Amino acid sequence: MIILQILLNGILLGGFYALIGVGFSLVWGVTNIINLAHGAIALLGAYITLFLFQHYGFDPFLSLPFSFIPLFIFGYILQRFLLNLVVKAQIFMLLILTFGIEIFLVNFMTTFFSADFRSVTPDYAGESLIVGNIVIPYIRLGVFAICVLITLLLSLFLNKTWTGKAIKATSLDIDAAMMVGINPAKIFAITFAIASGLAGVAGSLFSLTQAFSPSVAGALTLRAFIVSILGGLGRVEGALLGGIILGIVETLSSYIIGESYKNAITLAIMVLVLVIKPTGILGKKYFAEVKH
Amino acid sequence: MKKSVILFFVFITILILLPFLVSGYWLRVLTQTFMFAAIATGSNIIIGFTGYPAFGNIAFFGIGAYVTGVLMTKYNLSFILTLPFCALSGFLIATLLGIPLLRLKGHYFAIATIGVMEAIKEIVDNMTEITGGGMGLTLPIMEGDPAYIYKFFYYAILSIMLLTVVIAFLIFRSKFGYALRAIRIDEDAASVMGINTSLFKTISWAISGALVGIAGGAYAYWLTYIDSSTVFQTSYSVKMFAMILLGGGTTVLGPMIGAFILELVSELVWSKFIEIHGMILGLLIILIVIFIPKGLFETFKGGFSFKRIIINLRENKL
Repeated sequence: MIILQILLNGILLGGFYALIGVGFSLVWGVTNIINLAHGAIALLGAYITLFLFQHYGFDPFLSLPFSFIPLFIFGYILQRFLLNLVVKAQIFMLLILTFGIEIFLVNFMTTFFSADFRSVTPDYAGESLIVGNIVIPYIRLGVFAICVLITLLLSLFLNKTWTGKAIKATSLDIDAAMMVGINPAKIFAITFAIASGLAGVAGSLFSLTQAFSPSVAGALTLRAFIVSILGGLGRVEGALLGGIILGIVETLSSYIIGESYKNAITLAIMVLVLVIKPTGILGKKYFAEVKH
Repeated sequence: MKKSVILFFVFITILILLPFLVSGYWLRVLTQTFMFAAIATGSNIIIGFTGYPAFGNIAFFGIGAYVTGVLMTKYNLSFILTLPFCALSGFLIATLLGIPLLRLKGHYFAIATIGVMEAIKEIVDNMTEITGGGMGLTLPIMEGDPAYIYKFFYYAILSIMLLTVVIAFLIFRSKFGYALRAIRIDEDAASVMGINTSLFKTISWAISGALVGIAGGAYAYWLTYIDSSTVFQTSYSVKMFAMILLGGGTTVLGPMIGAFILELVSELVWSKFIEIHGMILGLLIILIVIFIPKGLFETFKGGFSFKRIIINLRENKL
C-alpha cells in the first residue's frame, strides 16, 4: 500500500514539474534559449501570491491571474528588448545572459523579501481526501489538476490559434515564417511571455505546497531543465510525461535511498539522459535544432 | 605579441613589489583577484581555446579545496605537498568526465557540467565522515603573525596565477594549442585533418581541471574553513565566465585582465553598496554580454569606439 501512496505522491508532484517545465521547454524549442532565470521568474510568482495572501487575505488559487499577467508582460519586455538583442550570438552568451538575469532577480528578491523561508498556508492547508489507506491533501490535488489543465490548454493554444501556429512555424523554419508575414521578433517575445507567465503560475502553486526562499530558484530551473530533456524540447505532451517521470523518480528515490541523495540522483539522471539521448525520450531533432 | 609580453613582465614586477607598499586590506583584495585570474585563465583552456563552455568548471575548484582540506586535517600533510594532489585529482576527474561529456555540444555540454558540479557538491555533502558534510571542514591555522600570513598567501596565489598563465601561454603557442583552436573553429574539419579530437578535447579539459584544482587547494588553506556551499559556488562560475568574456576568450591574457578589471571594479563598487552587490553583478554581466560579447581585446583592438559596440549589437540582433 505504501508504494501506491508513493507513486501517487510522485504523480501529483509530477504535475507541478510539468507546469514549471513546459514553458522552459517551449522557449528552448522555439528560440533556442536555455533560460536559466526560469526558476527565479517562477519565484516572483510565489512572492506575488504571498504578498496578496498576507496583505489582502487573497485565496492563493484566486491569485493565479495576478501572477500570470504581470510576469507575462515582464517576459515579453525581457525578450523583446533584451534577449532579442543577442539571440544570434554564440549559444553560451545567452546562457551567461540569462544567468545574469537570474542573479539579478534572486538578489532583488533577497533584498526586498529577505532570504527567509516563507510559506502560504490557507485555512484548508491541512485537510486531505482519504481513500482507504491513501491520503491525498486537497491542495496537492488542486495543484495537480490546475497544472494538467494549463498544460492541456497550452497544447490547444499551440495547435488551434493563429499565434500558436505562428510559434510552431517560427520554431521550425524562421525564414519561411518571415516569408508568410510572421514577425519572429514578436513571436519570440510572445513565446517568452507565455513561458514566464506560466512559470509565475507554477511559482504561485509552489508556494502552496512548500516553503520557499530566493535560494530555491536554481533548483526549480534544474527541474524545468530535466523535464524538458526527458520530454523533448518544445513538446507539451512531453513535458507532462517528463514531469510525471521526474516526480515519481524523486519520491521513489527519497523513500528508498533517502532524502539527502534526492538531488544527486535527479542530477545523475539528467546527465545520463543528456549523454545517451540529448533530444529527450519523446524528442526528435526538433524546432530550433533543425536549422543548425 | 612582443609588446604585450614586456607589459606583462612590468606588471608582474609591480605585483611582486606591491606587498611592501599597500595595506593588508588591499593585499587581501589582490590575493582574491589572483585567485579568480587563475581560475579564469585555467578554465579558458577548455572554454576559450577549445570552445567548450564548461560552465561548471568551478567543480574542480571545490574538489581541489576539499583535497587540500582532507589531506591536511586527516593526514597531516603540509600545505605545499597537498597541491600536486589537487592538480592530480582535477586532472583525473576531468579525464573521466570528459570521455562521456565532451561528446555533447553547445549548451548541452554547458548544462551537463553544471549538473556534474551540483552532483559532486551533493556527494561531498553526504560524505560526512571524510568531508564533515554540512558542518564543513576546519583546516589547521597557519602559524605566524598576520602580516606574514597575508604576504604568504599573496605570493602563493600569485605564483599559482603565474603558473597558470605560463601553462596557458605554452599551450597557446604549441601545436596542441593550434589543434584546440582548430577544434573550436570547426571540429569536423579538424577531425578530417587528422586531429584526434576526443583525445585533445579531453586533455585540454584535464589540464584546465588540474589548474583550477590547484587554485581551489590554495583557497581552502587561505580561508581555513570550507564547506560545500562556499567552494562549489555557481556565482564563482558566473564571475569566471564574465571575466573570460570581458577580456576575451581567444587570448591568453584576456581572462586575467578581465579578472583584474571585474574584481577591482566590483571591490570599489561593492564596498559602497553592500546590500545590492548581487544585483550589480547581474547587471554587469548583462551589459558585458550585450555590448562587448567578443571581449574588450577583440572589440577595441584599434582603440575605443562606439561604432564597434553598435556593430556588435547589429550582428547579434534578431
